[in-house]
Amino acid sequence: MKSWGFILRRIGYSVVSIVGLSILIFVIARVLPGNPARLALGPRAPQSAVDALTAAMHLNSPIWVQYYYWIQGIFSGNWGISLFTQRNVLLDVQEFLPATIELIMMAAIIDLLIAVPLGLVAGRYANSAVDNGVRILSYLGIAIPSFVVAILLQLSLGYGAHMFPIIGRLSQASTPPPTITGLYTIDSLLTGNFGDFGDAVWHLILPAFALALGPIAQEARIMRSAVVENLRRDYTLSEISHGFPETTISLKYLMKPSLIPTVTIYALDISAQIANAFLIELIFNWPGFSRYGLNAMLSKDLNAIVAVVLVAGVMFAIANILVDLVVGYLDPRIRLQGRSEE
Amino acid sequence: MKILGLHERSAIGRATAAIAIIVIIVVVGISAYYVSTSGSSTTSTTSTASSTSSTTTSTTAPSSSTTTSTGLASGTLSITFANVPVTDPAKGSDEASSAGLANLYDSLVFPTASGTLQPDLATSWQVSSDGLTYTFNLRQGVTFHNGDALTASDVVFSMNRLIAIGQGYAYLFAPYVANITAPNSSTVVIQLKQPFGPFLTALVRLYILDQAQVIANEVHTGPTATYGTNGDYGSTWLLTNDAGSGAYTIGQPTNLESQMTLTAYTKYWNGTLPNQPSTITMIGSTSSTQALFSSHSIQITDQWQEYSTIQSLSQLKGAKLVTIPTVNEMYLMVSTKMAPTDDIYVREAMSFALNYSAVVDNIFPGCQPSAGPVPSSLPGHDSSIPVASQNLTLAQQLIAKSKYAGQLSNYPVKYFWVSEVPAEQKLALQFASDMQKIGLTVDVIQEPWLTVVSDLANMTSSPNIVSIEDGASYFEAGSVLQSRYTSAADGTWEQNEWLQNTTLDNAIFSALSIQDQTARFQAYGNIQQQIYNQFPTIYAFDVYEARAYYPSVVNWYAANGHPIVLLGYDFYFRDFQFFPSQLAALGS
Amino acid sequence: MKSGRSLSERYGRYWYKFRRNKLSLVGLGAILAIVLIAIFASWLAPYPSSAGLYVNFAAAGQAPSWAHLFGTDQAGRDVLSRVMFAFRYSLMLMGVVLSITVAPGVVLGLIAGYYNGRRISTFIMRLADIFVAVPPLLLALSVASVLTPSAINAMLAVSLAWWPWYTRLVYSSASSIRNEDFVRAAELVGASRWHIMFKEILPNTLGSILTKVTLDCGWVILIGASLSYVGLGAQAPTPDLGTMISEGSRYLPAQWWITIFPAFAIVVVILGFNLLGDGINDMFSAGIT
Repeated sequence: MKSWGFILRRIGYSVVSIVGLSILIFVIARVLPGNPARLALGPRAPQSAVDALTAAMHLNSPIWVQYYYWIQGIFSGNWGISLFTQRNVLLDVQEFLPATIELIMMAAIIDLLIAVPLGLVAGRYANSAVDNGVRILSYLGIAIPSFVVAILLQLSLGYGAHMFPIIGRLSQASTPPPTITGLYTIDSLLTGNFGDFGDAVWHLILPAFALALGPIAQEARIMRSAVVENLRRDYTLSEISHGFPETTISLKYLMKPSLIPTVTIYALDISAQIANAFLIELIFNWPGFSRYGLNAMLSKDLNAIVAVVLVAGVMFAIANILVDLVVGYLDPRIRLQGRSEE
Repeated sequence: MKILGLHERSAIGRATAAIAIIVIIVVVGISAYYVSTSGSSTTSTTSTASSTSSTTTSTTAPSSSTTTSTGLASGTLSITFANVPVTDPAKGSDEASSAGLANLYDSLVFPTASGTLQPDLATSWQVSSDGLTYTFNLRQGVTFHNGDALTASDVVFSMNRLIAIGQGYAYLFAPYVANITAPNSSTVVIQLKQPFGPFLTALVRLYILDQAQVIANEVHTGPTATYGTNGDYGSTWLLTNDAGSGAYTIGQPTNLESQMTLTAYTKYWNGTLPNQPSTITMIGSTSSTQALFSSHSIQITDQWQEYSTIQSLSQLKGAKLVTIPTVNEMYLMVSTKMAPTDDIYVREAMSFALNYSAVVDNIFPGCQPSAGPVPSSLPGHDSSIPVASQNLTLAQQLIAKSKYAGQLSNYPVKYFWVSEVPAEQKLALQFASDMQKIGLTVDVIQEPWLTVVSDLANMTSSPNIVSIEDGASYFEAGSVLQSRYTSAADGTWEQNEWLQNTTLDNAIFSALSIQDQTARFQAYGNIQQQIYNQFPTIYAFDVYEARAYYPSVVNWYAANGHPIVLLGYDFYFRDFQFFPSQLAALGS
Repeated sequence: MKSGRSLSERYGRYWYKFRRNKLSLVGLGAILAIVLIAIFASWLAPYPSSAGLYVNFAAAGQAPSWAHLFGTDQAGRDVLSRVMFAFRYSLMLMGVVLSITVAPGVVLGLIAGYYNGRRISTFIMRLADIFVAVPPLLLALSVASVLTPSAINAMLAVSLAWWPWYTRLVYSSASSIRNEDFVRAAELVGASRWHIMFKEILPNTLGSILTKVTLDCGWVILIGASLSYVGLGAQAPTPDLGTMISEGSRYLPAQWWITIFPAFAIVVVILGFNLLGDGINDMFSAGIT
């Protein structure tokens, strides 16, 4: 089937880009001044230790040899030592990635729960007060930078109203649930600890909402224009004239076709969240992968920077492939649908 | 018009099903990955295990219901620090790490508030008349946290390990220790290469590890195994564990990014004290101190907040502002090898152009102007060195004599400040604005601490000026002179001056070898004069830390007028008294 | 293809489509105001020295008053003046980044689209793919972090992250337009490749390019502010909106004005460009109804 070739080619392209990205970042990291072995061991370490580490890291070989060993290391689990945590970067990634995934997942859920109904209502009652309100909200949502939203939320709901915790994943007094997936919410549910579950969710709400606001604004707009578009269609008119109840039209017949463009953007937005999470995690002191990456970048912790960029790149590539698959799958249907309307 | 209902519905239905299936696959895949690696990953935590504090109030008696049966206070004492401690005794040396080390490990001697030494692991010691041989008699019955008995061979192992790894406080010992032996299990003999007057004071920084436990956890393969037969010398394991005998041990697995938990060691050789905190959380980030303190999640703040923030925090119910002296000084370390600061007239002019009183009154309230390279409270400080003050006329005369006079705009001064200390930006701006008055252009650049450390490793990447707070590692002026002004400090964060002056090196080392304290302090005085006359540093101020804390909740000796002015020893937690039930009285 | 209408009639039509939506006019007004403020900041700002090496710690942290409409910041500088000068830096960042990324990006996209299927096209698009393998903020952060923090390096970092988007946009339009009849006709007649690319294909992509440029103005400023927020952009004492927000956040909630006013300013800028971009999109959209 044509689709298989399409999928394989897409994956192939992504692999090529990731390889290219790895070369780019690797070269930048190695070309910078400073002896990585000396940096890793500290300025007062004896020269013998530095020489030993230099040999172990193959720093005196030509750069393509170094790249080969580095790739070998990546696949065998040796991701280099982080200057910040003084241990294998792979361990750091394993430790911090679940927190970010949890944050992004929560943001995705909030996003969907708010954007779809908002867009639906705005489109259904186009040009009403509700619609205008949603339009203004969506403009603001796109324009306000995520870190400003985070600060404002922290200020008003955290400091001001004391409704939500300001930082961290759990309260000081709670124990984290045993690690099954690393996501506190899922782990606490799996072990039946509902107190921890509630606590974890409560801590998640502010940062997830700050993260989700931009995409919500964007998707609500797209959902709205899709709904408006579909309202004009003949089949909607026929449904109304047949006397279908209001809610049935909205929920059953309008929502699904309007969802197609929205879902496309939704998937793209989710895949971009890993970058937006950087600043949100910083502000909420969220011990996640993005904050680790930001610290690594600010401290010029080269091994960590390279690993973070690669992991983010792989995640982004996977998300993009999934989006392309979904859209590619849907597309023939849309084209079919459109052509047969004429 | 076609009736598309059927077509479109099944298409959309299939699309939705496809998306759902993909999402489920992804979620299952990710879960499977984590399940399969959960055995090897470490738990990430931001919280501590603790029992809930009781609601009855109690301010005094050790037998109150807020303490456990051993007299310890239940509940967790939490404090913010600039970073999570590095508790490998061969690597840690910053404030948080020194505090951690002081609690997790024991040394042969222990510092007191008056500056003298008291026996700790060593009950007595003898020094040979030539000052080259030190013999220590070890205390009997001391156990490590894992139950192993502490013997002389552990002391020998710890010293050798410290010198081999060479980081942290190793620089205190590496130039002096010739060898260390254990003639029997309770005696340690240390031979020095040359006499080192302050050796006993420096020994506070030799922290004793359990040889057997460290060796059992050494890793012999991989990039960290660079110490021959010792592999990585246990350094990976020591990132998250301790092999000490001190009053506390590392509690839960540490989240290296955010905090470290210490639990009281109930079998400590010196016993436990009433109301000693049973659990301590050292939070390694200062960005949320304000929120944490106002919600009572921490009981003592760090000293890195804006003064206005500390002031407003101390207005909270039950809180108090406390200013604690230190043996730290804020140094503007000036590179003597980069234009235009390689010219002594430029450096001298800068040191007279800065408005010190504005700095001390407005930016760092509570601090005092400095007098030379050694903080005024440190024994051995030379009182004849003038206190830093502004004299713009003199500054302008001096800079006119420099070889760059008239072309100063071609030679901007690169000034780094540490981004983790926001108040340093104000100092930088004050400095830049003052230097404008004598015609110097200053480029203010902020860098995170780790970047500063790596930039200072090379002369080419070092800036003209960097603002760093530094202090004594042992309780004498010699400590500052040794760690800051010898050539061994080149390329470390403690020196940006790149003095590379062998006369000075010799003077410092010979002063350090003088056994008699008076004579030694005299020599220190001469060295300070020498350094001062080179103007390699601008001495911004002596550091007094401003913190907020809750006095009814934690009885802190440093805030009550008994600070131990050695880095980290203000946080010897065994001497704290903790009353967590008082938190309820403060409201939440 | 444009038929023989007079110039003024064509532009009148564009203007009509633009101003139909009132919000686009609001956006235009806001941006014009900001540009004027940025250009004339030295005259408009009440305390122009606040934008430079001025410190007055005795006057630090004063609440908004008639003397200082936006209050003073932690070093005693007037926040309103700094915001005005900060517009300059934001607009400059945007101008530099877009001028060095749009032209090469568009040209590369045209080439890739015209030669679609040939090796050069694949090469260009794979190269672009490398740079979009990660979200742009992440790439800009990584590049900026390995360089010394400064305004110029921030611009460089953002540019590296930005150019491939234009290539991709133009490529997708160009590769489909390339197969249209009028392009084939031009080829048959013997028009040169450059003529086809720039005179036939480019004008038909101009609408989406212009829309994207306008929207990007807002995005570039946002990414620049994000870089400054973590300290990788313009250094003190240069006023910059992202830096001001980041530094001011340390004084929350008591001295809220240090953060809130720059935050408000940045929202106005980005919102303005978004509304303007929508208007431009309307201008080039097909049909009047």
